[in-house]
Formats: sequence, structure tokens, C-alpha cells
Amino acid sequence: MIISIIFAIFVGFAGGIAVGAGFVAFLSVLGVIPRLTQITKTKKYIRSIEWAVIFGSVAGGWFSLQDTIFHFSPYWLIPIGLACGTFVGMVAGALTEVLNVIPILAKRIGIDNKLLILLMAIVLGKITGSLFHWIFYVE
Amino acid sequence: MEETIYVRLRHRIQARPNETVLIGDIAEVIGSDDTVGGKIEKIPIYHLTIKDKTIVVLDIVRVIKMIKAFNSNLDIQVIGPSQTIVEIVFSRRKFTLGFLVLIWFLLFIGAGLTIMNFHEDVSMQEVHQRIFTLITGRFEARPLLLQIPYSIGLGLGMILFFNHLFKKRLNEEPSPLEVEMFNYQQDLDHYLIMNENKESMKKLDDH
Repeated sequence: MIISIIFAIFVGFAGGIAVGAGFVAFLSVLGVIPRLTQITKTKKYIRSIEWAVIFGSVAGGWFSLQDTIFHFSPYWLIPIGLACGTFVGMVAGALTEVLNVIPILAKRIGIDNKLLILLMAIVLGKITGSLFHWIFYVE
Repeated sequence: MEETIYVRLRHRIQARPNETVLIGDIAEVIGSDDTVGGKIEKIPIYHLTIKDKTIVVLDIVRVIKMIKAFNSNLDIQVIGPSQTIVEIVFSRRKFTLGFLVLIWFLLFIGAGLTIMNFHEDVSMQEVHQRIFTLITGRFEARPLLLQIPYSIGLGLGMILFFNHLFKKRLNEEPSPLEVEMFNYQQDLDHYLIMNENKESMKKLDDH
């Protein structure tokens, strides 16, 4: 009995370490956090930003596994949704960039100076695609 | 007396087809007085022909050879890159509006499709339903109150990452895309320098 409890704790802990390390490694490769500190000039607070990622992961994991329920006003969902979307958008942007899609595309078709227009196509495409998905596609 | 001149090649220049490239086009030459440098800059170094296609790499040894032929008493000091990439620009390809619209819609539809696939892939609908229940305590099959701000945030995040809205206001650092474009160009140039430069290769001529 004791053995199986210890084993379960050990397995859970090991899984958590693997997933947590993987998540942080993924974020580091994408360079989302350096980008945010660069834009907002908060490089010296990088430690507290790291803690935000750690607390966020732990809180998300805990609430989703415990089926916690708050009885807040549904309007809290608006800032939460915006934050979720911004984060996913940054990760998606970083992913396109890591894969080097846009420089190669722009170079191949010789429109280096119209980059902004192409970027807006991708951004608007993401917004429209997402809205279409939620409003019309999912039934 | 030996006179010292300093030669600095440019990294990359553009030229017209059938143009004769002068040393002055690809390099800056500084002598003890302006006349020597000026004369050297007038020396033709390469005549572009149609066979050159779009890229020619001119090596520093070629420039030195020309300068030595002009005056062998000069002491030549080379600074900077040791080869110049000459990009032959044919009459500017007209960029048609129809083409741009086509590519725009290609990217627009493609980006929309990938985000829909991503949402299906990670069961985003269920996650959003869970978040809705977590915050409000109710179940909502279509939590649009969460999903519409989410969709707007999606675009906002991408713009934020590529730093186009706040470019002028927040800082002057290049955006990741500009850095990526620069790196890609550097890789291309490096490849050209190694592979298009006749001076840096020696093959056996026995076929």
C-alpha cells in the first residue's frame, strides 16, 4: 500500500517535471518572453516574469485538475479571453518566424517592401478564421 | 618610394546588365592623395555579359591584380570584406496588383485554415467551455463571451510579436522579422561567396 502510494507520487512528480521542463524549453525556443521584455523595456524584471510563467502553469494545472469553480461575473471572461488569445497569437507568430516562412516567401516572389501587407493578411486571416470557427463552424 | 593605398570592398552592389563594373563601383580606394585613388577607381574590373545571369562575385585578388597592373609600386592594404557580390538588376519586374491580391488571399485563407485546424487539434472548444464553467459556475455550450476576445487577442499577439504597431513609439530595435530577413540574406550571401566565386574553388579540369 505504502509502496504504491510512494510510486504514484513518484510517477506524478516525474511526469510533472518532464512536462514543465518541456513547456519552458518550448517557450525559450520561441523567444516570446525576451520579445515581450524588449517591447516593454522590462528586462531587469525578468525574474518576476519567469515567476509569472511558473505560477500560471501551476495555477492552470491545479484548477483544471481539481475542477475548481469560481462564481464570478461572466464579464471576467473578456480580459481572460483577450489574454489567452494574445498569448496564443504570440506563440503562433513566433512559430511562423522560427520556421522562416515569411523571409523565404518574400524573397522568392520579390516583394520585400510589401512585407507589412502580407503580415496583415496573416493576422487578419487568423482573426477571421478563429471567429468563423467559433461562430459558424462549431455547432 | 612605395605608396600605400587602402582598399575597402563593398559587401553588395547592384548593376545593370551589360554594364562595365569599375573598381570604384565595388570598392573605396584611399591613397595618400586623391588623384591616385580617383584614378584607380576609374579602372574597369569586369564587364557584365548575359552569361553572368544574375549574380557575379568579384574577389579581392582580382582587384589587387588590376591595381598592380596599373602601378606595381603601390602597397595595397585591404580592409573589410574580401569579395563583393554584384547583383545584376534587370528591368524591374512590374509588381502587379492582381498578383498581390492573389498572394494576400492565399495567406489570408491559409492562416485562417491553420488556426481552425489548431483549435480542433487541441480541442480548444472544450478548453473554452471548461474555462467558462471555472469562472462562472455555469455550463455554456458556445462560450462566445470568451471566444470573441480570444480571437481579437490572437491578432493582437501576432502584431505585438512582430512589433509593427509600436515600432516608432516604443523602441528602435529591429523586429524579429527584420532580424530573420537579415540572417536569411546573410546565409544566401555566404553561400554565393563560397559557390559563385571562381577564386575560392579549384577543380580538376580533366573531363
